[in-house]
Amino acid sequence: MGKSSKDKRDIYYRRAKEQGWRARSAFKLLQLHDEFQILSGIKRVVDLCAAPGSWSQVLSRELYQNQNQPDAKIVAVDLQPMMPIEGVTTIQADITHPKTLQKILEIFGGEPADFVCSDGAPDVTGLHDLDEYIQAQLILSALQLTTCILKPGGTFVAKIFRGRDIDLLYSQLSYLFEKVICAKPRSSRGTSLEAFIVCIGYTPRPGWNPTLEMNKSTEEFFEGADIGKAGNLKFFDLPDPEERKIAKFIACGDLNDVDSDATYTLDSDSKVKALDPVQMPTAPPYKKALEMKRRGDLVRR
Amino acid sequence: MSERGFNAVSSVNEEIFTPLNHYGPVTGLTIYKKYILAGNGCILKIFKVNRETNKVSTVFSQQVFKRNKIHNISVSPSGERVVVNGGRSFAVLNLTELINSTDKIRITEKAINEWIITSEFLGENQLLILNSHNTIYHLDVSDKEPGQKFKLLDTIDCNEKSILYSGSIRLLDDGRILIAAGTVMSGVLIWEMNSKRIVHNLTEHEGSIFGVKIDRAGKYMISCSDDRSIKLYDFEKGQLLATGWGHGSRIWNLEFFKDSTGNVRIMSTGEDCTVRIWKFETDNELLIQEQLWENVHRGKHVWSGDIDDVDLQVCVTGGADGRIRLHDLVSSKRSTKDYTLDIVFEKAGIKSKKNEIIIEYFELPSLNYLIMSTSQGNIIVFDQVQETFTRVELASEETEKFVKFGLMKGFQDLNTVILCTRNGSLLLLKFAVGKIQPEKTWINDEYLQNNKVTNFMVEVDENRSTYYLFIDTPNHKTPFILRELKADRGQLTLTKTILLNQPHQTSFTTTDMVIDSTNNWLILGSRYVTLAVYDLSSGSEALDLQFIGKKLSSGDTITSVSIIESKHKEVSVLVTVRDGVYMYIKISQDEDSKFHLNIYHHNKVSRGFIEGGLLENQNLILYGFKSSYFYVWNETKQLEITSELCGGSHRQWELFKYENHTGEMDYKFVYINKSTLNVKEHEGRFSSSNYGLINDGTHGREIRDLAISPELLGDGSRLLMTASEDTTIRLNKLHPNGTIENFWSLNNHVSGMQRVKFLSKEYFASSAANEEFFIWKLGKFKDEIPVTTEYARLKPASDNPDLRVMDFDSYEYAHGFIIATVYSNSNIKIWLFDINSKSFQLVVDDFYATCCILNVNFIRFGDDIFLQIGATDGHIAIWNITQNLSQFTISQTTSTLGKSLIKQQLHQNGIKGLLIKQLKNKFRIVTGGDDNSLILSELTQKNNQLFFETLDFVEEAASSTITSICSAGEDSFIVTSVDQIIRKWKVSNGKLECESARYTTIADTGCSDSVTRDQDTMAVIGGAGVSSWSC
Repeated sequence: MGKSSKDKRDIYYRRAKEQGWRARSAFKLLQLHDEFQILSGIKRVVDLCAAPGSWSQVLSRELYQNQNQPDAKIVAVDLQPMMPIEGVTTIQADITHPKTLQKILEIFGGEPADFVCSDGAPDVTGLHDLDEYIQAQLILSALQLTTCILKPGGTFVAKIFRGRDIDLLYSQLSYLFEKVICAKPRSSRGTSLEAFIVCIGYTPRPGWNPTLEMNKSTEEFFEGADIGKAGNLKFFDLPDPEERKIAKFIACGDLNDVDSDATYTLDSDSKVKALDPVQMPTAPPYKKALEMKRRGDLVRR
Repeated sequence: MSERGFNAVSSVNEEIFTPLNHYGPVTGLTIYKKYILAGNGCILKIFKVNRETNKVSTVFSQQVFKRNKIHNISVSPSGERVVVNGGRSFAVLNLTELINSTDKIRITEKAINEWIITSEFLGENQLLILNSHNTIYHLDVSDKEPGQKFKLLDTIDCNEKSILYSGSIRLLDDGRILIAAGTVMSGVLIWEMNSKRIVHNLTEHEGSIFGVKIDRAGKYMISCSDDRSIKLYDFEKGQLLATGWGHGSRIWNLEFFKDSTGNVRIMSTGEDCTVRIWKFETDNELLIQEQLWENVHRGKHVWSGDIDDVDLQVCVTGGADGRIRLHDLVSSKRSTKDYTLDIVFEKAGIKSKKNEIIIEYFELPSLNYLIMSTSQGNIIVFDQVQETFTRVELASEETEKFVKFGLMKGFQDLNTVILCTRNGSLLLLKFAVGKIQPEKTWINDEYLQNNKVTNFMVEVDENRSTYYLFIDTPNHKTPFILRELKADRGQLTLTKTILLNQPHQTSFTTTDMVIDSTNNWLILGSRYVTLAVYDLSSGSEALDLQFIGKKLSSGDTITSVSIIESKHKEVSVLVTVRDGVYMYIKISQDEDSKFHLNIYHHNKVSRGFIEGGLLENQNLILYGFKSSYFYVWNETKQLEITSELCGGSHRQWELFKYENHTGEMDYKFVYINKSTLNVKEHEGRFSSSNYGLINDGTHGREIRDLAISPELLGDGSRLLMTASEDTTIRLNKLHPNGTIENFWSLNNHVSGMQRVKFLSKEYFASSAANEEFFIWKLGKFKDEIPVTTEYARLKPASDNPDLRVMDFDSYEYAHGFIIATVYSNSNIKIWLFDINSKSFQLVVDDFYATCCILNVNFIRFGDDIFLQIGATDGHIAIWNITQNLSQFTISQTTSTLGKSLIKQQLHQNGIKGLLIKQLKNKFRIVTGGDDNSLILSELTQKNNQLFFETLDFVEEAASSTITSICSAGEDSFIVTSVDQIIRKWKVSNGKLECESARYTTIADTGCSDSVTRDQDTMAVIGGAGVSSWSC
């Protein structure tokens, strides 16, 4: 797909470029906020898996400009380097590492966060069960840090894929939050499994003291939390049935707002020039293989 | 969400659904002795290979896990036990029991609390499980009683619990237990289990590690990653020895060869659907790619593989297409024989002139001779057993006749080669056992006068009674010459010469010929995809053209014509066109002796050029060139039989096919590349074992839509069309036992598929992105094989079409079909499609809103016709289009829909599934949405007014998007959703009731269709695979 055909196929892609967002996903957070007012009155914010930074851009614009909170603090964490964003402290680090937590807490002056979000997703392999497992691990990693830093009553938002075991995750989250909603912004394609969990009202598990430690798996981290995770190592019997719940589904964004599945005709002005993306894609791991292919070094046989 | 509890619609009366057949990703493969153990979704299959006959049989097939796919299979040291694992599940089974039992086996599914990367036996009674956080669970699995109580002996880690994508366990002879862990982002960790010590941390790769193995001797390690390279390390030193580059995308699996005596060899498979064999040479920092098999699976991804280079001499691969294939290592080891032309000429005693080249070949298999002619008129006999080259003794004036021109053909059954001079004279060379020099016979031309020969072709009738020699000349006023010869004790004699007046057109360049013995018709193929027919039955010696069919398809040259079925006054031919098109064409003669031509099957190969084709035991075999290599392709089975990197089509080449002593088809490809004669032989080791395809599958990409034919065929089956995101449509039969048998993969679409539906018994239609909407006509070949041809194509409205045709509906009218198409930009169009003229006339052209329309249906209430749509805005809308249609009949004017009669929001966003059922005086409408909910509504008509009423609403009808709804009898229906649960719902007293909910291993569950007969419903569910169910 060329630059301009993608503009036409995906109206949000085009708009993001026009409005200076680093990725179209900015609209997803904006639409989630429109629906749930999740960004209202928050001061200390953690944006996990933040690169390229469109959610941090939204948070920065909302907290500093719209809400005029000069003392707000936004921390963006990612393993990848990120272009700086005004008012956002970027940390290139692993979200499962205790030091990362420590760093964020230092920036917050020891105060807990009001809001933690994660728009992260791994590269998919195409093997659905594996991809869904890895995505669930990513969410649990974000949730680990969240349980260590989020204030009671705080909000956690994360990207999910509504695959086969999503009801297990809903059930586990429902132990930790007053409300767990599955939200689908209109800017997220209807053909994609992507949606967002909006977890409102963090309720720390009584008697459980979450502590991030090096070399502790997510499974071990949540062991004492008693959130209905099946972890039977006694005789290794299959947990069946498991605790599964369906979260309330809410489509957000105005029905009259543009639809990410629809094809739009560009008005004649914008048709003239296809816009360059705001943020160029980062170097993929297979960059060398591509270069070799280009040079003809990849002999077929 | 404050109250605790279970999802009420996750598992309900599961026994109501009976799984019939499953076709989906093969994610685990292990060769053990003569057995191949395969994980096909939740099903474990075991195949047995007979070493002598190469026949393969299925000895076991049973679902072992409730939900999880089998990712790994490992056998205990004694071979008595086998462990399978996938997701969090594992099972320890008795292999002897699996192989020998004919009954269903009792299986106890076990689980841990994490994703399992791999598992291995430690002795017979202990098991090591590596979990996705790089931790080993050491288990006592000695309990063999039903219910198997296993005990955790130890939990072991190396204090580095990074999340893993891949890993393996290697038990060395010295007692060391090594864990190779491929992490998501920080390279490869090799650690020793007993000491818990990290031996190596290999960081040469970039990106996630998808495979890592240690060889049996503990000398080498291999790994592959997102960076598309394979790295071989010295195990003791942890030093990178060599890197293999070549895969075009991610590599999923690596295996060491078992034979460790020579060079280290590795097999790799990946996303690019290739299998590659690599060789390591000391001091070469690049791994050498020794073997490449391309397109071994359809679509994308070879997920699993194993190799046995010692005993069975095969490698086996499993793909996202659900297929399992055996690849022969015996014949692949044999390299192409090559002889430089200098050596050929020298051995033949020819003092070759400058630029003398070999221009034609003919193979005499019974003598093992390859006869070659050169540009200087020399003829060389290549004895392929003795490896000798001998010049055929010709007088110098004879040789002179073939300088720079000499077309060579022959008859293998007669060991006779025939050469044609530029002037049309023929030299017959008859070879015999024990004599290298042939007998010579000349047939001198008396017809061509000053004209030159452009083509020389030979044919024999099916009774081998008449041999035909055909000569073509460019002057269309000069007739073609057809000579008939008879063989008497192997000796050919000319019995008759027929002059065929050329078609009256300036250029008719023949490219292939065939004789239909039943009717005595000569059929000629030519350039511009044109066929000509001559009737030889009159016995006359001067004949006029009987029939010509011009420009039968897009493309240029017909490369082959062969007879596939012949009856009185009717013949079917297979025609291949160089550009990649192939056709089944019926030529028939009616009572008035008039000829008719009907193309009843038309398709094209997805890439490459076709040089020829044949039908072999109901398999369509095509061959030709794809960029720089030559291929032989089984189009029916969709697999490559052999290929050869020869440099491309611009060279002298010939393909010879013959049956070997076991009745299997062998191929010999002879070509010149870089002044060297190359002879590549292919032995079809598994040809009679379904070409090594031991488990059949489906598309290699997600299936977007499927449709079951309304027609019940004579064998109890129905046609099933499946359309996948990669633009292919497959034409299948759905058998009464739920088996899906594929016949064709149709490649006409060029963009991602959206929908496929039957318009009637005879026609189906398909829609895709880029405004593609095609109507196809179905037919039958030999009464049992379904065939099809694209019948009509809707012209896109825009020059640069970028709209998706999201859905369509149709109904029959006197001259064809009324068709509604809906688009991703909210456009709604209604067409009048005339079957005879194949024309589409636009009746209605309108827009709904600014969203994407997802579905459309015609609803007929008495004399009124309504149009219903559902869209991404969660609404359904209904218009009365009776006026639009009648207005069009009168004035031929395109109209708009006007105001909708009904516009009702049902769902929060996209209406993905919709079923309309006609009841007495009303219609039932069931809708399912992206919002997990299911809604029951009714449409009634009173006093000419339409009423839409919602009767019931189930908010949590699924835990994820509902994607499709199909009927299951009068008041029941089946609903699919992305949570991989299929549910049967019933309408009872105006309420929705979930009768049954059962898990399906088909991920991305997105489409369904069903057929109900006598209370029994058979449903087919599609997604990342396809499965059939009865309920």
